[in-house]
Amino acid sequence: MTCRKVRKLMPLFAGDDLGPRRTRAVRSHVDACPACRSELEELREALARIKAAAKEEDVPDWSESEWKALMVRATGETPGSRKGKRSAGARVAWPGWAAASAAGVLIGFVILSVLYRGSMPGPARTASPAVPPELAEAGRAQDVVSLTMVSPETGLQIVWFLDKNFDYKGEQE
Amino acid sequence: MVLAGRTDAFEPLVSPYRRPLLALAWRLTRNAEDAREVAQEALLRAFRSLAGYDASRSFRNWLFQIAANEARDRYRKRARETAAFGDVVERSPCATTGSAAPGPETERDRQEIRSDILRSLAVLSPREREVLVLRDLEELDVAETARTLGCSNLSVRVHLSAARRKLREALRRDFPHLEEGR
Repeated sequence: MTCRKVRKLMPLFAGDDLGPRRTRAVRSHVDACPACRSELEELREALARIKAAAKEEDVPDWSESEWKALMVRATGETPGSRKGKRSAGARVAWPGWAAASAAGVLIGFVILSVLYRGSMPGPARTASPAVPPELAEAGRAQDVVSLTMVSPETGLQIVWFLDKNFDYKGEQE
Repeated sequence: MVLAGRTDAFEPLVSPYRRPLLALAWRLTRNAEDAREVAQEALLRAFRSLAGYDASRSFRNWLFQIAANEARDRYRKRARETAAFGDVVERSPCATTGSAAPGPETERDRQEIRSDILRSLAVLSPREREVLVLRDLEELDVAETARTLGCSNLSVRVHLSAARRKLREALRRDFPHLEEGR
């Protein structure tokens, strides 16, 4: 191994961070090369000085009141109300069906909004036969809203019809 | 226990790392106020992310990872707002020659020299400093340093090598009398 190559590996060798094969190669070179040995000693000395300085350095510490306040803040508690306040780390466990229902409702909204938007310039819509007459009237005036829930487990679909004030008007399976 | 809702179990969990965490933040930021904020934010994040903690890992290293990320975010934000770090390097005693005058050393002198030696960490890039602090000062091994910083072992070795070389040069330049006294 050449001096140039050894000097390149020297910083890692100085901290024992080379693999065994390279460590052996560098060591055998350093044992035989005074210039590289001096370079290595200098590097090790610098590292030792940094480590010693860090060990002896006065690092800041929390005061007791700071630490207590931090713990209170971290756990979402307020002094005197240890119980009753939900922690910042707590998670709400939503059941699977709730997420599926919410997704179904959302999809229903999107489909209906597209359908209604598409039919606006044209003639008034004719309600399907299954829709109650009062809803058909509301639908013509385009004041009816429907929400569809699709169960991913059973495939059951329920459509709720609401008027423009979101009052319940009927449902259809 | 904390995950089961016993939030009061959090303090005993993190108390052993109270000083080490703040010390790490201090070594990464070299600023007492920033260090407090980094360590504080790390603890808040640790509490929020406790459910994602991999119990096969050292809890201390996991906390260190959060703190290192926080310090890096803060550094980037600061660097965007001002070119403060460059100013710090220019202002730091180690960047000027003669900051540590040769002569008989009193205890106070030695403290100042120690402080100045550590200020030479300012010559390192943020990544080099992180790697050096974790590997050489906190004594994590290369693999754990890589894991803590979210990078490869090779990247750690490259930055570690550069960091040690730069520090050796900084000490040689700014503390020639220490070199003479070897």
